[in-house]
Amino acid sequence: MGRHDRYDAIIAGAGHNGLTTACYLAKAGLKVLVVEKNDWIGGAAVSRSLHPGWTYSNCSYVCSLLRREIVRDLELPRFGLQVIPYEGGATFTSDGDYFAYYSDHDALRREIARHEPRDVDAYDRFSQTVMRQCRFIRPFLLRTAPDPVRMRPRDISELAYLVRKVHGLGAREIGETLRFWTMSIGDFLDEHFENDLIKAHLAGSGIIGTGLGVYSPGSAYVLLHHYMGDVDGTIGAWGFARGGMGSISRALGLAFEEAGGTIVTGSGIDKFLTRGGKVTGVALENGDTYEAPVVASNMDVKRTFLKHTDRDDLPGDFLRAVERFKIRGSSGKLNIALDRLPEFPAAPAGAPFLRGDMHCSTSLAELERAYDDWKDGRWSQSPYFDMLIPSQIDPTMAPPGSHMMTVFVQYAPYDLEVDGVRDAANWTEERRRAFADCVLDKMSAACPDIKERVQHVEIRSPLELETEVGLTEGNIFQGELTFDQLLFNRPVPGYADYRSPIRGLYLVGSSAHPGGGVMAAPGANAAREILIDLGRRSGLPAEAA
Amino acid sequence: MEQFDAIVIGAGHNGLTAAAVLAGKGKRVLVLERSTSLGGMMATGTLNGVQLPRLAHLLYNLNPVVVRDLGLKLDAKPVPTVALSEDGRHVVMDGAEVRFADGTAHPDAAAFVTLYQRLVRFGTLLGQLAQAAPPDLSGSLSLAQAGELGALARLGLRLRLMGKAEMREFLRIVLSNAQDLILDELADGPLAGALAADAVRGAWAGPSAPGTVFSLIYRLAQGGGAALPSGGMDAVVSAFVKAAEARGATIRTGAAVQRIVVEGDRVTGVELADGSRVSSAMVLSTAGAAQSMMLAGHGSYDIEAVRRLRNFRTKGTAAKVNLVLSGAPKFSGLSREQASGRLLIARSVRAVERAFNPVKYGEASKAPVIEAVVPTLTVPDASGKHVVSAVVQYVPYAPDGGWTDTARQTVIDQVVAALDRFAPGLAAMVTASELLTPADIESETGAPGGHWHHGEMSFDQLLSVRPANGLAHYGFGPAGLYLAGAAAHPGGDVTGAPGRNAALKALKEMAA
Ligand SMILES: Cc1cc2nc3c(=O)[nH]c(=O)nc-3n(C[C@H](O)[C@H](O)[C@H](O)COP(=O)(O)OP(=O)(O)OC[C@H]3O[C@@H](n4cnc5c(N)ncnc54)[C@H](O)[C@@H]3O)c2cc1C
Ligand SMILES: Cc1cc2nc3c(=O)[nH]c(=O)nc-3n(C[C@H](O)[C@H](O)[C@H](O)COP(=O)(O)OP(=O)(O)OC[C@H]3O[C@@H](n4cnc5c(N)ncnc54)[C@H](O)[C@@H]3O)c2cc1C
Repeated sequence: MGRHDRYDAIIAGAGHNGLTTACYLAKAGLKVLVVEKNDWIGGAAVSRSLHPGWTYSNCSYVCSLLRREIVRDLELPRFGLQVIPYEGGATFTSDGDYFAYYSDHDALRREIARHEPRDVDAYDRFSQTVMRQCRFIRPFLLRTAPDPVRMRPRDISELAYLVRKVHGLGAREIGETLRFWTMSIGDFLDEHFENDLIKAHLAGSGIIGTGLGVYSPGSAYVLLHHYMGDVDGTIGAWGFARGGMGSISRALGLAFEEAGGTIVTGSGIDKFLTRGGKVTGVALENGDTYEAPVVASNMDVKRTFLKHTDRDDLPGDFLRAVERFKIRGSSGKLNIALDRLPEFPAAPAGAPFLRGDMHCSTSLAELERAYDDWKDGRWSQSPYFDMLIPSQIDPTMAPPGSHMMTVFVQYAPYDLEVDGVRDAANWTEERRRAFADCVLDKMSAACPDIKERVQHVEIRSPLELETEVGLTEGNIFQGELTFDQLLFNRPVPGYADYRSPIRGLYLVGSSAHPGGGVMAAPGANAAREILIDLGRRSGLPAEAA
Repeated sequence: MEQFDAIVIGAGHNGLTAAAVLAGKGKRVLVLERSTSLGGMMATGTLNGVQLPRLAHLLYNLNPVVVRDLGLKLDAKPVPTVALSEDGRHVVMDGAEVRFADGTAHPDAAAFVTLYQRLVRFGTLLGQLAQAAPPDLSGSLSLAQAGELGALARLGLRLRLMGKAEMREFLRIVLSNAQDLILDELADGPLAGALAADAVRGAWAGPSAPGTVFSLIYRLAQGGGAALPSGGMDAVVSAFVKAAEARGATIRTGAAVQRIVVEGDRVTGVELADGSRVSSAMVLSTAGAAQSMMLAGHGSYDIEAVRRLRNFRTKGTAAKVNLVLSGAPKFSGLSREQASGRLLIARSVRAVERAFNPVKYGEASKAPVIEAVVPTLTVPDASGKHVVSAVVQYVPYAPDGGWTDTARQTVIDQVVAALDRFAPGLAAMVTASELLTPADIESETGAPGGHWHHGEMSFDQLLSVRPANGLAHYGFGPAGLYLAGAAAHPGGDVTGAPGRNAALKALKEMAA
């Protein structure tokens, strides 16, 4: 028998959400323990050095969604968090041209006009609509979704808030909002733009991390998950966390420890312990057990309840709902150590977009075909990717003169199909290599010398993301962001308030509302609910009176 | 100049329904139909001297309120649905019963019935929304205006009455995709495939697209199942025509409207292709949404409305293949009664999804999803010949390379080959065949894009935003003009609901 200690609350998993919950609880005076299976903290917000001299943001790579209120509450800048905005981006064509996205409005208009004069004003309409939708949705991120079925007083008051917000939009805007929330990013872009290259450039945000294609209804909404954030108040802006995304988790970890919390790493939770329908603590794989009346799981909903909870403790319909929760892996990633900056022959010297997000998918049809491959169990033969070289802005990521490149790839299936059999075990080393080659080959259209520049590459398949981070099937958002799994349906109907059928056991990761991304909102919202149950206040927005 | 109280453009079933409702209230109504035949997309035709349904061939969504109000006398026999299976183990769905065709039990029968009955319950619930104009979003929150949001409130109440678990399930699935819903309950195969095919029939979507559960539910609004009218679709057309004429409506064929005359911001009549005019302060159009706007002239709409209607998606994906056979086809493993049902070739949910892929890039499915009926097995043709009426998905409106003779023949050959696999010898009996591509359907019936519903039934084009935000309550631009066909709420299929709702709205507004 190993260690055995008592705490006021235990957090299972040191992802950024778990750490956020941990911070709020510790700051409220609780004695809190965080247990993490890996030897490091951060989950999918992590920086690791796998090739001497280089640091990778191994999973998430750019920051914008992290709620400002939380950064401020937890004083993360004091613990070293610094987000440096990057500007612009580009999509390269195979014939030596590109569409460049500039944050400077006039430059952007000139660039759009170069491709399609009719799209210049269309872009302004597009961005106004998206910004209106962002402004509409942002206040909901730090609120608990109402339960329209149970209708307790708090549900009624949250619903009333929702109805007021919706009604405040006015009839015309309500109609537009309904449409926006239910339409596909492809149709949305087709309604605005003529030029295929411009559409393709803007469409990526609607599919990243999802099991949707550009023409799947609901993908326009996913776009918001990429526009509703901000850097220093500039809505829709993105930035690099200095030192990689791990510095967010690091800052959270330091804030937590300063507030008196304890983190143990290196052994995962084997079981959530219960007695009489109440949680009593956790048992670790290494034999240690810890007791606490409150346990918050940062793992996704499937892992939490299907792997580490006794089935007998859960009602059948709840289990059934968890079983059918959709959490499909659809993304892969390459993290690359470059000896020096690759050449981008199409780009003018010093082009600012080389420091932004770069892509090589040039039409909506190409993106849709990439999706069709995934549906059929193949990685996209002509994948969409989002590639950046953050070391140009953050020199801590690579040795002087050298660079680090992060390449997020959509789509890669979890259960790869080989000879008619779909199975994650088909991700052999050889196929991982083939996947990486497929991506590098396509990248060559933009930077022909890329393969010569590669010193080391970390290849991440959905299987790997599952094994390392614990994201079931490698789904980067801990669950699909479709309507059947949003708001009061997230993670499962009736349990959207971070609680579970087991008293004292809470869900604080991205499986909960408002979902994935390095946002910290689920973690903070869950902390508020936990503190409400303990009769304490969190000081967080939308605190029920 | 001739003068009427109301003019209805189009003698499809919605135009005829609208005419009957208006005439029933004592209005002098003129129906103007471009084609020489009546019934629009429900019209029958002949091939090689044999009568057959040109497009629509089954009833599954006819609105009972329309049947009641119009006093339609229809003798429609519910027919079983047969999911054909490559391995010969065809599945027969008859009412709430599911079995293999040989009578043995299907392992998923219980799961299917539970799922299906739940969907039918939800369908019935939503069906009530179809009987009125869509909810008006401009309703204020004050109690005085609660009536405006009444439909939604009543829906919410009915939902609650179903019990908490049902309500949760409804709120979870209503916007989700058919593939997940079906495969959460059933093993993939012909039974699951049949349900998936129903979810996407006529749609520019595969079963994995969010929103397809709604289209499945829509189709089950009248309890599910399909009925074959005795006397064929012709009898249905006649019933609608009779309802309109008995109430005094005048119907003219070969009378294409080329312009809706607008003076100031009011409709004053229409102008026909021959230049003649008929005057009326009320015009109900069952042409497509953008087409109706074109008839009235862009000038009658604000620029936003023009933009929105131009963006209304109407990409048709369903084609029709009609065959005349020299004798009765023999489907192996099916009794004659089973073979006279609704035959589905949709191997699995995934096969339906895969069939959708090519149409996105302007190609036809190589293994299309087929809904076939052999109506002559139920109502024999005097000639002793037989007819196969097949809806084929997915077929593009404009394939790469155009609709060449080869491209057309390929589609027909594929359908014949697919049927022949289940009814050996069928191919050899084909004496005549025709293909109606979405483009043909458009040019023949005017349905934009040849689309089954005159416009995609995806959530962003439904209810309070069908056909477009701000134009969803039948009133369509200039005062006195109404949209009354499938492009209006609740949408397509042979339902009569848009025609009836639009007519009632027009009556109410013109009385005020
Ligand atoms: C490849 C990739 C790229 C992404 N890119 C971006 C991006 O650029 N920007 C962005 O905003 N978002 C991005 N995301 C999404 C975002 O990173 C995640 O949604 C978010 O980090 C999830 O945080 P979390 O705290 O909810 O859960 P996680 O990060 O999944 O944390 C769960 C934690 O629990 C631990 N754990 C699991 N099992 C056990 C156990 N049995 N016992 C103890 N601990 C356990 C895990 O090790 C992990 O630390 C990306 C994700 C991925 C995978
Ligand atoms: C291949 C196929 C098979 C189908 N099968 C079925 C089925 O089995 N069951 C089912 O329920 N539904 C089926 N449908 C759908 C169904 O047929 C339609 O949704 C429905 O018939 C539409 O009715 P409507 O009255 O709104 O329009 P329509 O039937 O299209 O009628 C509109 C009428 O307006 C006329 N018109 C247009 N413009 C003018 C003008 N300028 N001047 C004068 N007249 C004009 C047209 O000629 C037409 O007659 C099918 C559709 C397709 C494409």
